[in-house]
Amino acid sequence: MKSLKITTVLIILTMIGGFNVSAQKLTGKQIIEKVYNRPTGDDQSSNLTMTLINSQGKQRIRKLTQYLNDNGTVEKKIMFFTAPADVKGTSFMNWSYSNGKPDDQWIYLPALKKIKRISSDSKGDYFMGSDFTYDDLGDRHPDQDTHKLLREETVNGVKCYVVQSIPKDKDYMYSKTITWINKATFVGVKKEFYDEDGDLLKIMHVNSSKNISGIIVVTKITMQNKQKNHKTIMSLSNVKINSGIPDSKFTERMMMRGI
Amino acid sequence: MKKITILLIFSVLIITGNAQNADFSGYARNYTGVLYNTGDLSILQNTFNLDVSKTGEKIGFKVNPMLYHYWADSLDLRLREIYVDLYFKNFDIRVGKQQIVWGKADGVFITDVVSPLNLEEFLLPDFDEIRTGVSAVKLDYYIGNNTLEAIWIPQFTPAGMPKPGSIWYIQPEFPAPATFDWSKSEITPSLENSEFFAKYSVFTSAIDFEIMGGYTWDDYPTMHVQKEFAVNSATHQPYLAGLNITPEHHRLYLGGGSFSTEIKGFVLRGEAAYYNGKYFQTTDPAAVDALVQKDYLHYLAGLDFNVGNVKLSTQFIQEYILNYEDSITNNEFQNTMTFLARYDTPNDLLHFELFSYVGLTDGDALIRPKITYDFDDSFSILLGSNIFVGDRDGRFGQYQDNSMIYMKLKYSF
Repeated sequence: MKSLKITTVLIILTMIGGFNVSAQKLTGKQIIEKVYNRPTGDDQSSNLTMTLINSQGKQRIRKLTQYLNDNGTVEKKIMFFTAPADVKGTSFMNWSYSNGKPDDQWIYLPALKKIKRISSDSKGDYFMGSDFTYDDLGDRHPDQDTHKLLREETVNGVKCYVVQSIPKDKDYMYSKTITWINKATFVGVKKEFYDEDGDLLKIMHVNSSKNISGIIVVTKITMQNKQKNHKTIMSLSNVKINSGIPDSKFTERMMMRGI
Repeated sequence: MKKITILLIFSVLIITGNAQNADFSGYARNYTGVLYNTGDLSILQNTFNLDVSKTGEKIGFKVNPMLYHYWADSLDLRLREIYVDLYFKNFDIRVGKQQIVWGKADGVFITDVVSPLNLEEFLLPDFDEIRTGVSAVKLDYYIGNNTLEAIWIPQFTPAGMPKPGSIWYIQPEFPAPATFDWSKSEITPSLENSEFFAKYSVFTSAIDFEIMGGYTWDDYPTMHVQKEFAVNSATHQPYLAGLNITPEHHRLYLGGGSFSTEIKGFVLRGEAAYYNGKYFQTTDPAAVDALVQKDYLHYLAGLDFNVGNVKLSTQFIQEYILNYEDSITNNEFQNTMTFLARYDTPNDLLHFELFSYVGLTDGDALIRPKITYDFDDSFSILLGSNIFVGDRDGRFGQYQDNSMIYMKLKYSF
């Protein structure tokens, strides 16, 4: 059974290790590969709440219910937006492929009563106005970056590897990222994103996590844009793993019918 | 009495909704427009849209009344949709008044002909408001990711057209006094007069496509023109003394399809419909009722792509009358393009959009810039403009005097 490459950053940061390689011998790339290749189950459903907070402290709330399924070659994800009112009923579906084929994406807009295929060439777009880009929420393959173990340090009492990742694609939206990874669990703890000029752009912090069906799931995370003083808090609730979500959930029929 | 009826309907909706634990959503909106030329108000409209719906495991329903308040005291209540859904393992059935949308085109209606258009305000209403619901039975049968859809519409609904007095009404010009006979313009609901549509849609990673067909009525009435001649008593020459015009809807067969696929970040879309035996006006004196029947092709090719965080889209549309005769009053080819650019600022507070129709055949255009600011998750303000330019005989240029600026205040719940 192939591991589920769940496409939300909340899950990316939840991997449990279970590896026997001695920690001292690990390179930066090996650490990131362990993060990427974590076992996480076959499917997942959850409710996601995003709180967008601007520099004046003004809050906006986005809510959705999401379902994920991975058959080993195709990971399918469907999201149903439930709030705010003007986007309620909108659904978004993404199919991503383990062979590197570009994602397929569709959106259903209830006002138009139409499913539209949309370009997946928008990884740099911000997701629903949050501080997360689609790429931040995606499943970035370790081979896309050059990784270097910078040091080991303790963050809030947790011993961490600190790994720098520099993209091989010079046009990528970030010049580098630095990730703090729990040495015991290979779960991400914190991540810094640097812009094209090399300046710190965003910091992501894991705020809380839970053990669900034997898998640690991060249930609250904060992304702060240091340059614009925005931040987004993502919270997961009602998380279910391996509940047997059928493939028929990820169809045109369900996009139009809703949750 | 009308107020009591409206109150009664809303009360029933609310009671029903509570009883069934239904979802309530909708909006209240003010829409005010001002004409550039005169400074007169082009529209003053308040709208209350209520959407009551519930989707269960085996059954669902939706009731969507919309109350329009125009000017000082004109009220217009429309039931945009009211239907019941039945869900089975491999198929769904929807019965009731519903809006049905087909095709891949944006802002253009090619295979999207099941729900007729309400053109009382030309093409300006939002696309969810421009369609008229039809009372229909719709069956969707699912075969994996593919769907076979069959629709039966027992009662024909024509397209809504601007009425005399509206700024969108174009007074037709006749060479002689015209008399209208509306006796044949209505279609009696019956099995024989029903409309039937079918569509097979395929939904895959590589491509989405639809194949459709329909046995329908032309949404727009054909004008049967009979000329009356008289003899000039002075010159003893015959002259055209009058026109007897009989609007009548005719049967149409049409078939078509649409597709969309992504190629290296570009979404390519196409759509076409072929009409068999559509009526066109002709100046041929030998033609019966000044009409001629021709096959007609309406198709589109479109491209969607991103440049940075700006979403762009363009479409080329052609209408083509086959076996064309010079006496036909429509052009043999009618070419149009559309352009769309949209940008949403980070944090989703401001939304910029520019949508344009450009008439290539007539050299005219409708340009629609708009900016939306979201005060919060419920309340937004939209400032926009509808700018008509070009040839006054063109589809868009004819409304040059209706160029306007407008504002929409909207509270969603």
